[in-house]
Amino acid sequence: MILYTVLPLEDVYDGLEEEIPPTTHVVRNGVLMEVEMCGDFEAKVVRVISSNPNDYLAADNQPGSILRMP
Amino acid sequence: MEQDEKPREETEMETIKELGQTELPTAAEEGTPFHCLTIIGQIEGHMVLPPRNKTTKYEHVIPQLVAIEQNPKIKGLLVILNTVGGDIEAGLAIAEMLKTMRTPVVSLVLGGGHSIGAPIAVAADHSIISETATMTIHPIRLSGLVIGVPQTYEYLDKMQERVIRFIVRHSRVGTEVLRELMFRTGELVRDVGTVLVGEEAVNVGLIDEVGGVSTALQRLSELVAKRSSGDDQ
Repeated sequence: MILYTVLPLEDVYDGLEEEIPPTTHVVRNGVLMEVEMCGDFEAKVVRVISSNPNDYLAADNQPGSILRMP
Repeated sequence: MEQDEKPREETEMETIKELGQTELPTAAEEGTPFHCLTIIGQIEGHMVLPPRNKTTKYEHVIPQLVAIEQNPKIKGLLVILNTVGGDIEAGLAIAEMLKTMRTPVVSLVLGGGHSIGAPIAVAADHSIISETATMTIHPIRLSGLVIGVPQTYEYLDKMQERVIRFIVRHSRVGTEVLRELMFRTGELVRDVGTVLVGEEAVNVGLIDEVGGVSTALQRLSELVAKRSSGDDQ
């Protein structure tokens, strides 16, 4: 991987050693998503896994949005 | 109260807080036929960057572009750039997608469009820079990799070459001028390169014109009109 950026590399990689929170997969509205659990009832979308491009435009599926778990 | 669905505005705020990105509407609403895509922070590539970085995730942007291209209701795309650069492959991937879209694309550089932001800016059908925005043109720097063998250097040179080739092919700037800007010594404290501010980017031929959001939307409307008059639909 090659970075082409004006930021010094130490800034880009700052916090690299910090642990990445574990993720899990859920299906929401028929869309498979990788999520990070925030407590028992909420999950934050990390990534959408779908071959339907419209799933990536859907407002609820944007990375960072919070899903309420049933 | 806690169990209630969050109002839309609040979730929108959260999205901005978490990723620095707003959500895109599902389909173009009445009267707003243009979509707006923001390329912000670091362009994230093959490695998930530490959470301190604001990132543009290419694996999410690319299917969005496919959806925009396929949706007949979306007439044009406005790409707003305020990026410090990032992964070269991810950046070029987004640039190539924008370049090959049939939907008219106008790019607006606000704040900064540095490093790999430059090919993304020139990939649009028409590129605009705001008066105070800057673009840094510099060689690829890499401190994580030790250049031990000449092949490593040659590889880096090749990576550099494809960025140069893309920019030259899709803007008015010539190879010689771009190289000169890239390897100019003395302007940057840390390394070689050039900082272009607003009009300077237009003068060297990298960007098409200086303007703001109204200019960008006007150009987009013109492109849409031109395209629809040229086509049957």
